[in-house]
Amino acid sequence: MNSAAPLAARRRQRNAAERRFRLAALAAVCLSLGFVVFLLGTMAVEGARGFVETRVTLPIDLKAAGLTATDGEARFAAAIDDAATRAFGRNGPACLAEGSWMHLRDAVRQDPALLVRPGSIELPASSPVDVAAKHDGTPAAEAAVARLTAAGALSRGIDWAFLTGADATDPVRAGIWSALKGSLLTLTVTLLLAFPIGVLAALYLEEYAPRNRWTDFIEVSINNLAAVPSIIFGLLGLAVFLGTLHLPRSAPLVGGLTLALMTMPVIVIAGRNAIRAVPPSIRDAALAVGATPVQVMFDHVLPLAMPGILTGTILGLARALGETAPLLMIGMRAFIAAAPRGFTDPATVLPVQIFLWSDQIDRGFVEKTSAAIIVLLVLLLSMSGIAIWLRQRFEARR
Amino acid sequence: MTDAKLSARNVSVFYGATRAIDDVSMDITRDEVVAFIGPSGCGKSTFLRTLNRMNDTVANARVEGTILLDGEDVYAPAMDVVELRARVGMVFQKPNPFAKSIYANVAYGPSIHGLARHRDDMDRIVEDALRRAGLWDEVKDRLDASGTTLSGGQQQRLCIARAIAVDPEVILMDEPCSALDPIATARIEELIHELRGRYAIVIVTHNMQQAARVSQRTAFFNLGRLVEFGATSDIFTNPVEERTKDYITGRYG
Repeated sequence: MNSAAPLAARRRQRNAAERRFRLAALAAVCLSLGFVVFLLGTMAVEGARGFVETRVTLPIDLKAAGLTATDGEARFAAAIDDAATRAFGRNGPACLAEGSWMHLRDAVRQDPALLVRPGSIELPASSPVDVAAKHDGTPAAEAAVARLTAAGALSRGIDWAFLTGADATDPVRAGIWSALKGSLLTLTVTLLLAFPIGVLAALYLEEYAPRNRWTDFIEVSINNLAAVPSIIFGLLGLAVFLGTLHLPRSAPLVGGLTLALMTMPVIVIAGRNAIRAVPPSIRDAALAVGATPVQVMFDHVLPLAMPGILTGTILGLARALGETAPLLMIGMRAFIAAAPRGFTDPATVLPVQIFLWSDQIDRGFVEKTSAAIIVLLVLLLSMSGIAIWLRQRFEARR
Repeated sequence: MTDAKLSARNVSVFYGATRAIDDVSMDITRDEVVAFIGPSGCGKSTFLRTLNRMNDTVANARVEGTILLDGEDVYAPAMDVVELRARVGMVFQKPNPFAKSIYANVAYGPSIHGLARHRDDMDRIVEDALRRAGLWDEVKDRLDASGTTLSGGQQQRLCIARAIAVDPEVILMDEPCSALDPIATARIEELIHELRGRYAIVIVTHNMQQAARVSQRTAFFNLGRLVEFGATSDIFTNPVEERTKDYITGRYG
């Protein structure tokens, strides 16, 4: 009875400590979840507007203007200005986006009837009007929106051009496709280089390399390499690929090479861990029926280690996809007005495009920036999805 | 002497500076089952693994003396390890089927050695090996199921079938029943009886009743030395050495 009381007190203390720890852990989880929800929420709300464009319905009579389908930019632009002034007053032309004449030209080519009788055409609104229509803009633009709304000329639609177009100085015409394609080309180069080299290096280090000071040194170096700030890889790429090898500047080829340098150590480390996790008994079993060490590796060790290797690879690629700094160093921050056609064309990538747009003064770029972030996040999430799918596929085979 | 399948002459094995096996010589004939017994760490498994050079995978292991398989030096530079292991198969302590189908487990050895010309040949080899391992009736309807879905005893018989499939001359078994229940153990012992005569079999075991049941000759190892090697009936009823007697009566080790 004498010893029972202190024991009970101690037990209460231990239980209380347990509860405190669980509460603290729960709070940490809630906090991080809150951040994620906040981030995704603001991005979704802001970015969703970036996928929507404001359109102005412009009544137009091309016959009166005497236009033909083969006319040049000047005549089409003049016709639009003329029609806009007639319909919406002196400030009418300023309500329409800069490249509107191209829409008119395409519409005429598709439907030549427009040339001979009066009709109307939907054109993208200019950036100030677009901003004013979605939230608050400059007083002049707000007045224009009020006038256009009164005339029943404003409408909204999904901005498909954002997904298919290239960068532009006018936010209404700016698109993400050039950066997206640049990212995909760059990642392709990274994957094709970093995956085989990384996996082979991991296999060699785990299965063949003798344990001595050299391999210890290599192991430490690889671990350190994975922790090197990415901008330093950019400097390395600048010096080696551009300076010494004279590869084309701003190209996905060079970006991919640079990011491959950065991704390789991650793949080597993940690969070594996955290979080490394969039970030695499997190696013994294969050796005992007369397999050569290479057959043991490719027939047994590699298939079992594949889920782990792939997860590491996709994580490494996801990091490469989000990387900005090293690509700035090799010139992938240029203004790219056309999507790259190949690995050596000038290109930019999604995170750099986001960085460039976030730097723009024009308010129209704010929502374009958010929309680009959504595209980047969707790409990242689908990559994680692929990782999970591959993992399950390989594990189902066991 | 001349009809020895495997013959060890003054074999010593070192792990770094440690001597794990000390000057062991013995002959194993082609139609007998030989059991290795002895306390843990006495070197019986190490000696077994030198017979098909599985110790090559241990970085600092070194073997002295000679081991002859049909008169050929196993450790000679001219000996192809891959061919040696095809001729001297091995079954391990823990069942270790590949993470592949039952069929693929058995077919792996024959396929890397190119023993089957057609799919039909392979089907026949696989069925034959599974029949001889006493597993065919249990798995013939699910050859595509993963080898790891079988029970422990079935997995071990699958491993035996895998070893048989490359048609070896010798089968080394390293405590094949230590992870199995008594019923599965009895199945494996029956199997060893059935395989006797076709293959020379060397079995390491901690279970002395098992050694007495399955083997014709027994070798008692202690502290890396071969203490006594003779007919199983003699070893268990009338051992020459005092240490053997102490061990089998459970007074020691």
